[in-house]
Amino acid sequence: MNVLLKRYKQKYNKVRDDMARWDQCHCRLLSQFGNAVSIIERLPMLMDSKNYGMLKCVDGINDALIGKQMVSLQRIFSSMKETMAEFLDVVLSLGKIVRDSQQQLKSGSLSPSKQQTQLRIGISPSIAMCVDGLKAIYDMHQAEYLLKSSLISAVSWESSSNDIIAIRQLLIDQPNIPKDEVQLIFNIIFPEDVC
Amino acid sequence: MMENLTAISSPSTQTPSSIRLWRPAAQRNLRNQWSKLLSRKTQWMSIASDGRSNATALVNAHLSQRYTPQMDFGVLKEMPGIVEKSTQKFTQKQEIWRLKLLSSYKDMVKITCHLSELLSSMRCFQKGSCSSSIVRFSNNSDDRNDMGDGGGVSVFSSWPMSHFEELAQELVDMFVLELSFKRLLMVSLLLSTNCQESSRQQADAFCWSNELYPGEFDDLTATNLISKESGQPISPGLQDPTFNTVITKTSGSLVSREVLQVYLTAWFSNLNIDMNRVEDIFRMVEWEMQVKLS
Repeated sequence: MNVLLKRYKQKYNKVRDDMARWDQCHCRLLSQFGNAVSIIERLPMLMDSKNYGMLKCVDGINDALIGKQMVSLQRIFSSMKETMAEFLDVVLSLGKIVRDSQQQLKSGSLSPSKQQTQLRIGISPSIAMCVDGLKAIYDMHQAEYLLKSSLISAVSWESSSNDIIAIRQLLIDQPNIPKDEVQLIFNIIFPEDVC
Repeated sequence: MMENLTAISSPSTQTPSSIRLWRPAAQRNLRNQWSKLLSRKTQWMSIASDGRSNATALVNAHLSQRYTPQMDFGVLKEMPGIVEKSTQKFTQKQEIWRLKLLSSYKDMVKITCHLSELLSSMRCFQKGSCSSSIVRFSNNSDDRNDMGDGGGVSVFSSWPMSHFEELAQELVDMFVLELSFKRLLMVSLLLSTNCQESSRQQADAFCWSNELYPGEFDDLTATNLISKESGQPISPGLQDPTFNTVITKTSGSLVSREVLQVYLTAWFSNLNIDMNRVEDIFRMVEWEMQVKLS
């Protein structure tokens, strides 16, 4: 039993790595989003030819400047897509951990009985708790991935500033991954860290 | 095709043995000149970005100064002369950033000159007579028959000298054109951040046909940005330097915050420099030379 429990705990270490990767992507996405927004907010100003002052004397300056900004915006959008692909990679990795852990319950030489999975010794978690925790963390990240990808696809050069404020807030908050709940799961699995 | 080129560019002098001697010297020279092009390009970009920071700081100081009189000083408004003092402070700051911006611009001019100079040092000429036992090469021609291009033969694997020159020209043209546009931005920024009554006279000094710093026009001559007829800088354009622009002078009138923002955006956009093309050119040259330029 102890061996099995140890194996599940090891899976949580992998989850920790995946979540660290998630956090890195999160930071990157926010900075990419920030860059995109500063271009989007600049566009109306660039589209108004009365804002060109002395540059008006240069033929085609308007189109050239907007064109260049659009190219940069496009580049940022495609790097945001790459970041989203990395988020998906994390989600898939978490999914695999969950599947493996469920598989281990059903088959394998150490397959425990239903009673054994519920068993708790002292402050140690039961195996069922370990499996459920993994599933919960996976579900959170998957839901958050879907939210993020729909938010990102909603951003365009025509986005209004109100939309942008709302999207930015949701991106920062990550409402599907409540930090305290994640912490709670880790506290249950690693009670020795809490004491 | 290659035979034809040989016949056109240099009718006599090139014998197989002289080509054999010329090629290693020409290769060495091209590698050196292209390495310099690469490092000048890098310098140019970094100074342009310094210039952007200085321009931004200048604009910020200017806007702060402009809005100081309307600012709510809260409890501080009891202090005698607080508004005047802060205005003065921002004026001083503007002066500092203006000088820094000018010095960035000056550096950009210098580097653009270096870039232009590199264009004329691609070729490799034989020095001394053919009969002497030691053959030397240089960047200057002694002999009117020696074009310095080895008679149009390939220098490395397939490109003749002229192709290296065309690519270098294309590259340098972008930077020269952008320098000219940056000059317009310089004039625009300096004029519009300098609208105080007291410095109106100074503001008049910043106009297209005046030097932005002493000796600027001499420097610009090396980049062909000075018109031979008028002795004044040619007008800035985008990609196509032939079309005519009229620089209107709007000194004195207060430009809006948005206009200043557009100036700054135009500065960092490097409109005339197609970065993808620049990278492509260097990659092609590296491939042809089979070396990594550094």
